Amino acid sequence: MLKLLRRINYWKCFVYLISLTLLCPFISLFLISFGDTDGLWAHLFATVLIKYVANTLALMLGVAFLSGAFGILTAWIVSKYHFMFSKYIDFMLLLPAACPAYLVAYSYTDFFEYAGPVQGFIRSLMGWSSASDYYFPEIRSLGGAIFVLSSVLYPYIYLLARTAFRQIPESYIEVSSLYKRSEFWTIGFPLARPAIAAGVALVSMEVVSDFGTVEYFSLQTLTLGIFNVWIGMNSITAAAQLATCSFVFIIILLVLEMKSRSGRRFNDTSKNQRSGRTKKLVGAKAIFCVILCLLPFCFGFLIPISILISNLVGPFKWLNLIESLVTLRNTLMLSLIGASLIMLIATLIGSVSQVSADRKLQNLASFSSTGYAFPGTILALGVMIFFGFIDNILVFTESFGWNLYLSGTLSALLFAYLIRFLAVGYGSVLSGLSKTSPNLVWASRTLGLSFSSTITKISIPLIKRSIIAGGVLVFVDIMKELPMTLLLRPFNFDTLATSTYQFAHDELMTEASLPALLIVLSGLIPIVFLNKLLKQPEF
Amino acid sequence: MGLKNLFLVIITFILNAQTIDAREVNIYSHRQPFLINPFLEKFTEKTGINTNIIYSAQGLAQRLNSEGKNSPADVILTVDIASLIVYHNMDLFLPISSEKLKQNIPSHLRSLDNTWFGLSKRSRIIVTSKERIQSRSITNIEDLSDQKWRGKICTRPGSHDYNRALLASIIAEHGEEKAEKWASGLVANLARRPQGNDRAQVKAIFEGQCDIAIINNYYFGLLKYSDIPEERDWANSLNLVFPNQGETERGAHINISGGGVAKHAKNKSEAIALLEFLTNKESQDLYGKINFEYPVNPKVAPTIELQSWGNFKSDKISISTIARLSGVAQRIIDRVGW
Repeated sequence: MLKLLRRINYWKCFVYLISLTLLCPFISLFLISFGDTDGLWAHLFATVLIKYVANTLALMLGVAFLSGAFGILTAWIVSKYHFMFSKYIDFMLLLPAACPAYLVAYSYTDFFEYAGPVQGFIRSLMGWSSASDYYFPEIRSLGGAIFVLSSVLYPYIYLLARTAFRQIPESYIEVSSLYKRSEFWTIGFPLARPAIAAGVALVSMEVVSDFGTVEYFSLQTLTLGIFNVWIGMNSITAAAQLATCSFVFIIILLVLEMKSRSGRRFNDTSKNQRSGRTKKLVGAKAIFCVILCLLPFCFGFLIPISILISNLVGPFKWLNLIESLVTLRNTLMLSLIGASLIMLIATLIGSVSQVSADRKLQNLASFSSTGYAFPGTILALGVMIFFGFIDNILVFTESFGWNLYLSGTLSALLFAYLIRFLAVGYGSVLSGLSKTSPNLVWASRTLGLSFSSTITKISIPLIKRSIIAGGVLVFVDIMKELPMTLLLRPFNFDTLATSTYQFAHDELMTEASLPALLIVLSGLIPIVFLNKLLKQPEF
Repeated sequence: MGLKNLFLVIITFILNAQTIDAREVNIYSHRQPFLINPFLEKFTEKTGINTNIIYSAQGLAQRLNSEGKNSPADVILTVDIASLIVYHNMDLFLPISSEKLKQNIPSHLRSLDNTWFGLSKRSRIIVTSKERIQSRSITNIEDLSDQKWRGKICTRPGSHDYNRALLASIIAEHGEEKAEKWASGLVANLARRPQGNDRAQVKAIFEGQCDIAIINNYYFGLLKYSDIPEERDWANSLNLVFPNQGETERGAHINISGGGVAKHAKNKSEAIALLEFLTNKESQDLYGKINFEYPVNPKVAPTIELQSWGNFKSDKISISTIARLSGVAQRIIDRVGW
């Protein structure tokens, strides 16, 4: 008994330690937000703050709604029906996940703005000659940003909802059809709610922290405001305060969502249920489904990618390609190491907190994975301050003749990734765990299996697929990540995202297109793999 | 490859960030690598000193600060005066004594305490549509708030560094109240919500969305000599106006790109060598040829192309005053919604 106790404490202590370490950059930011801001808040309240908050809320709700509609609708269709091309559509719907939002924003602006081909075509068709002759919605606007962000972010919801829909037991569906009730509203949606909520939470956090798209569209959100205060008014203190506010805001949302779910259980304890069969659709209904499912794919992938390809005009430059290949190697290596690290930690935190059934630990873990909601650059500042602090402690190594420090090495960058993307991995692990019954864990413990054996032999194998799925999402996320990589990387180290940015920043789309396409192409491979994996039966 | 080897490879990948070669200089740059690399290649060729670079538009000052004395950075390069002052105020620069730098850079374009140095000049100018705006109908930056240009002007957002610095120069000349009146007049004249970069404003003039824009002079050159034929057409549709050139006027607002040596530089002499190199005749010429910027070195004439745009008088206000007024300017920008 004593031995067992010691074991439990060891695992739990370790997870507590990791969770607390992950909070350190937030604490650094919190600490620098104390300080005099010279009446800046009065000024912000009187001028721009309300606009920032209103725009952020509108953007978040708009994207949650539109990407939710895209993701849930298509997930329901592909998991309940089969029709022509449905096998391919199923996976095409995932592809927009490989496109960074800022790139899609760049290419849509070229495409839809006054000088772009769409409006040019309309003008030549109708014989109009100037902007005052007709109305065309502006792409650089709130609506445009909602459209762009929803088009690339909906796969998060789609992926999680699809898995949940497919796991609905056939018997439930049969009951609902016996009572002639809507399958979707009475069974599908309520059962998939944790998965959908996790997806929408990820999307909302991504939206709040987005900088690239809102900067390009000059949409005054809180994140853009943080930069205006930081760079424009040269007040890192006020910027940290603003960032903390938007962070608190996100936390409140997450807590509300969790509260509304508490007291319900979504795991399935009955044994060996057949999961739902798919119905075959033909004729007009099938065509309708094909068109419906192809829309988000076209918005988030086909159209922007075609625009990028058409930008690769002029003679092909081999030198650029070779340079890009070196960058590609860096990117893949970094993403692989980052994704493995994040999944290792996410699995550890998730399974330990489940097996130990420690509420405090679960809450702490959720809290330390909220880095996703911070704008990357601000989070990077927190990491830098924290690592600077660690390095100051490491100074003692000099007396041993070493000169050990972490700032400016990839370890700082990997740590930043860990904080930012833990939410993605942890969310995936949690949704896997919520599907497995706690009875299994209790049974294993009652039957005398130790704490660590329960974790390694029961918890982890049960959610293996969720772990890999989360890992692939994190991999693709790291590949696309821009602001933290830009700021924390070592010398002469480029990823595809940073090398795209140095050109795209200056609206040099021709030069930016090659690395941009490479990001998308190399993101496709893991996504294809992910799709294959999710199709195999779990056990 | 065994598991152990794989582990070693990963560890070296993660921690291999700083290898110390014989002669090198480490640069934190706010300027994009593709613009600075031609200079660095020439520098290495001439001196045998290798260069390492990290580029980021924002946050490098905070990085340098938190790295403290462990920082590998030797040289900082920025694209505007405001960020030079940020480093200066955070005490991240090392004062250096270099006769060459003093000779190559006039005193109003470098700091009095020898910490930061201007390396190239750019002017914020007005461009107008050749077709729709009569030449000489706009001569001063102040004219842009005139009601007669209602719905004719395009700019990037006010909170961009370049517009903020421009507004700061107007505050310095006319005081805060008048500057705010000017800014709100300008905003009232805008043809569309401020968006895009300076390049996008030129495009908007070409396409007829507006007739007047404020841009940095080098965008005109970059478009005029672009590989893309359409972009050359955009440039050809413009007239350039260097504002405030009248006898009693202050001259066109200029900003500088600049640099300095990092406080804890490990390669101090190499760092100074790089700054000196960037102000010599060859480099100063190169600034004009690559990016259509004006030399800071009074002994070097602007390139022939730049001269063909017209000689102009530049605002002689101390460049650090512009940086000092940046916060005031941002508040005005927030108030008028630019």
